Parts: sequence; structure tokens; C-alpha cells
Amino acid sequence: MSSREKELIDLLVKEAEDEFLRTAGDLPPEELERIRQKVRERARAEAEREVRRLLRKREEEEKRERERVEEEEEYFIRFNRNFRFQHMVLFTSVIILIITGLPLKFPDFALSRWLMSLWGGVKYSTVIHRIGATMLIYFMVHHLLYTLLSRDGRRDFIMLIPTPKDFRDFFQNIRYFVGKTEDPPKFDRFSYIEKFDYWAVYWGCVIMIGSGLILWFEETAMKFLPKFWVDMAHEAHSDEALLATLAIVIWHFYNVHFNPDRFPGTLLWWHGKISKEEMLKEHPLEYERIMAERARRKEAGEEGRQ
Amino acid sequence: MKWRVAALFPLILILFLPLAPKTSQGEWVGQSRCLVCHGKREYRFYKKGGYAKNLYVSLEELRASVHKEKFCSDCHTDVVELPHRGTPSRVSCTTCHYKGNPEGAPQLDAYLEYERSIHGLEAKEGNPDAPLCQDCHGSHNVRPPEDPLSTVNKRNVARTCGKCHIDIYAEFRTSIHGVAVARGVEDAPSCPDCHGEHNILEPTNPESTVYPSHVPTQCSKCHAREAIREKYGIKAEPVKTYRESFHGVAIEFGARTVANCASCHGTHDIRPPEDPLSSVNPENIPKTCGKCHPGATPKFAEGKIHIDPTKKEAGAVYYVASFFKYLTITTMLGLICHILLDLYGRVRRMRRKERMR
Repeated sequence: MSSREKELIDLLVKEAEDEFLRTAGDLPPEELERIRQKVRERARAEAEREVRRLLRKREEEEKRERERVEEEEEYFIRFNRNFRFQHMVLFTSVIILIITGLPLKFPDFALSRWLMSLWGGVKYSTVIHRIGATMLIYFMVHHLLYTLLSRDGRRDFIMLIPTPKDFRDFFQNIRYFVGKTEDPPKFDRFSYIEKFDYWAVYWGCVIMIGSGLILWFEETAMKFLPKFWVDMAHEAHSDEALLATLAIVIWHFYNVHFNPDRFPGTLLWWHGKISKEEMLKEHPLEYERIMAERARRKEAGEEGRQ
Repeated sequence: MKWRVAALFPLILILFLPLAPKTSQGEWVGQSRCLVCHGKREYRFYKKGGYAKNLYVSLEELRASVHKEKFCSDCHTDVVELPHRGTPSRVSCTTCHYKGNPEGAPQLDAYLEYERSIHGLEAKEGNPDAPLCQDCHGSHNVRPPEDPLSTVNKRNVARTCGKCHIDIYAEFRTSIHGVAVARGVEDAPSCPDCHGEHNILEPTNPESTVYPSHVPTQCSKCHAREAIREKYGIKAEPVKTYRESFHGVAIEFGARTVANCASCHGTHDIRPPEDPLSSVNPENIPKTCGKCHPGATPKFAEGKIHIDPTKKEAGAVYYVASFFKYLTITTMLGLICHILLDLYGRVRRMRRKERMR
């Protein structure tokens, strides 16, 4: 118990004593002194108990607050729930589209034959492919609305726009890989690798959905377009599918799952959390920004309280 | 011992018996007993309804056939007295043409396939219209298939099939294949080249050579051959491009409703695209595609059908394919280099850390 608390107790005791003296009236002096002594003792005990209770309560609150801050500092929410949902819809639809679509591009592979027999032949695989396509179109619409309407979506979209820094980062990263420099580039929320992935999905969605719709409704399409347009759509659909699959399986999987830091994989897409350690290593600028933001808010908060 | 040798005598006699009635010009004179009636050109049998069956047998025809050494009764086994009573039953060729027959009559396993064929099954069920051997090969005029006068010779076989399948014969005769066969083009197919010979199955039978999913295989027997394409100036690679198209891939994966060669080009009435009657003439494309793609417009004819995206002749599609080819190659090379450099950097830094320890 600090001196401040002791003073407080003394004050409370004095108050109780004064109150007693004011209401005591005319008592014989010995009697008065005896009762005064008792009041003082009783008041002190009660005050001490009360102060201890308050102190304990405050301590508990402080501990809880400390834990909360610690937890916040240990993990950062990288992807919010909405974004995680979008990503899950995207990869589910892409997996469906790949396993029902690529066998048609490589019909001679044993794996293709096996996959097609799994769906019960081309009659059913095309139906499943269209279900996947619908999911992808839904994802595209959802994401566009998210970009337009959500605060996080707008912020992320702006941060995903390529900047000259990305080119500098790229060259510095290459120099870092080959040992020309000791400092890896410092990335903000999105590295140039992630920006590439994002815009690759944009490009892929536009090509695949556009050509896919022509092929899906080819009879309607050929009311307006000559046949060779449909052939071009078919060629683009087939070729971009291969490019997208290779980019996902080789590039995206290496960068998020299979590289030695992450092997055998990360669950970031599921819980959306990133550790402080990873944050410092992969997105130091974002970390600094978040910390500065927090400090400013704390300061502002304290000022407001005073 | 002696009685055994004696017993062998009749046995040996029996063995040589088939050789005994050695055929010669003299024996044919014996046939003249049949020809008393059947040698008359106007010898006819009038059936109900005024239909006349010609019963004339030309001795010259028979003598020029593969059976020139046979007697009438060798085949007409049920004629045992003259004049015969009633109508003799139809000749059964298997009386002689069975495996291991002492006559030396040819017998191939291929003949046995007839029993499984649609013709054989129908005959077995008692369909009076179902053809037996003699309906195709001829009765008194059986000649080897190489013989230009044989009913089953390439140039004649379509007409032989046409005896029953008259509508199809009419279509085939004016088709590109029919015209070529009539001109004596050896490469051109006639009926058996696609349908088979003794083993003809119904087109709806999944084992049939012309079952929808087998059609591309049948056509590719000739049209996939470089030599044939060069000889007849067929520019596109019809089979390869079809196999790579959605139609071709889908049929490979068991689709039944997807187009095969015949769906667009026709079957017996295939004509060159320049022919206004051809189903693949640009004028007729909307109608032909419209069989499966309801509401097909003339836009269906704007652009080649059999396209190989790797060839310049494919036009716009070639440029799309080339663009994606180089896009894929450069992108993937770049990305893989980035990954390898990343791994190289990690290994380098790890080694250096170990050295410093």
C-alpha cells in the first residue's frame, strides 16, 4: 500500500472521528475518549478493507488490459472475415474448374481419363464446370462490390495499385537474392509478389469469364459474332486456363505455402492472422505504420481524457 | 494279320472315293438333264401378284464361276429326282464351306462372323428378306472378289448392297465416294470399307464400326493418312483437328450427343464442300449446325471449321494461340527464375551463417 492510500485511509478515519464528535453531544470525557478510540479503530479497519478491495479490482483490470495489448501485439489480423470468404469461394471454384476443364485440354493423359470417368463422362463434367463458373462469377461480383463499398476493400485496392516502389523492390530483391546487398526490400501491406498475384487473378477472371460466357452461350453469341470469334474464345479459354493453373500451382503455392519459411503450408487463408514475427519480416512498413497509428491514437485518447 | 490288311482295303477305297467322279467336259453333259428346263431363257415361275421369278440358269455363267467344276446337285442337295417336286430349299453354302472340308472349299473365320452380324441374326430369326451368302456373292455366278465381274468386287459391291438398301445406294451413287468408286479410284471406300463385310452390325450396336463414337476412327483410316490427303488435295488435317476440337474430345470421353464426322458431312451422301448439295457447303452450314445448335445463323459459316491453332491458316485463332504461347512461356520462365533465385539466396545465406558459427 502506497503513502497515497495511507493518506486516504487517514482522511477517512478523520472524517468518521469528526462526524462522531459532532453528533456525540455532551458525554463524560472518559466515556467520550473511549468511544472515540473505538470509532477510530473501526473506521480504520473498514477504510483499509475498502481500499484493498479497490486496489485489487484495479490490479485485475490492469492485468486484463495488459494481456489484451500483449495479444494484439503478438498477432495482427491480415485478412478480415469477408476477404477470407472471398478467397475460399475463389479457390473452391478454381479447383472445380481445373479438374473438370483441364482434362479436355489434355485428353490423352491417364489422369484426365480418370478424372473424366470420376464425373461420369463429359456429359456431367460440363455441368460441374458450369457450377464452378457460376461460383467464380459470384466471386468476381462480390469482390467488385467489396472493393467499392467496404472501407477495408477500398483501402486494400488502393494499396494494391502498382507503384514505382514495387519496381525498386523487385530489383532490390533480386540483388538481395544474389547477395549484392544485405538488406531485403521493406514491403508495405502488399509486396510486389502479392500485387502480381492479385492482378493476375484480375486478368485471368476477365479472360476466363469473358471467353467462358461466349462458349457457354455460343448459340446466342453466334447470333452476333462470326464463328472464328468463338474459336478465338475457345483458344483463349484453353490457353489462359493452363497459364493460370501453372501460375497458381508453381508461383502462388511456392510463395505462400512451399517456401522454406512456410513449408509445408500456412493456414493464414483460414484464420487470417499473421504473427508479429512474420509481420516484421514480410511487411515491416505496414508494421511500423500500424504501430505509429496505435501510438497516435493512444496519445489522442489520453489527451482526451485529461 | 491277313484279315487286318483285308480290312484296310475298303477304308482306302473310302478315302479315295471323293476323287472318283472326276469332273470333265463329259460330266457337264449330264447336267443337261437340269438344263432341259432351266436352260430355257424364258423359263419363269409366276408368283402371286404377277411377280415372276426367273428360273433360267446360264451354263456359261456357271462355267465362268469359281464353281465351274460342280454339279447342280452338289449345291441343290435336296433335288433327288427329276423333275423335282415343289420348290427346292435355298442352297446352304456350309455344305461345303466348313473348316477342314475335303473339297478344299475355302473357309475363313471371317465367314463365321456372319452369324453374329445383323444379316445373320435376322436370317436366324426367319426374316425372309435377310441375305444369305448367295444374295451378295451371287448364286451361279460366284467369282473371286478381285474379279471385276464379281458381285462383291469394289466397283459392284455397292450395287449388290443396293439390291435391298436401294435408298442408300441412290444416295451413295452420287456422293463423292460413290462417284470415285465408279470411276475406279482404288482408295475410295465402298460399303464394306466402313460397315465391314461378314461382320456388319447395326449402327446402334456399340460394337459396330459405324457406331457414333467409332465414326471418327472409320473415317481416319483414310483421312488421317498424309498420302491420301496429298493425293486428293485435302488441305486441312480433318481428323487431327477434329480430335482436338471440343466435339472430338467430348466423343473421346463418352459423349453420345456430340457431333462426329457424319453428323456434319453426312454418311452415304457425303459431297465436297463446293457442291451446293453438300451439307457442309457454306450455304447449308446453318441448317447442318442447326441440327444440334438450334437457331444456328449464317455466322456459323464465318470462319473455318477444321482449324489447327498452331498453323497460320487458322487466321485470328493462330494469333490468339501464339500470343498465349509466348505469354505463358515468358511468364512461367520469369516466375520460375524468381523462385530459383529466392531458393539460391536462402541456401547462400544459410551456408554463410554456418561458416560464421
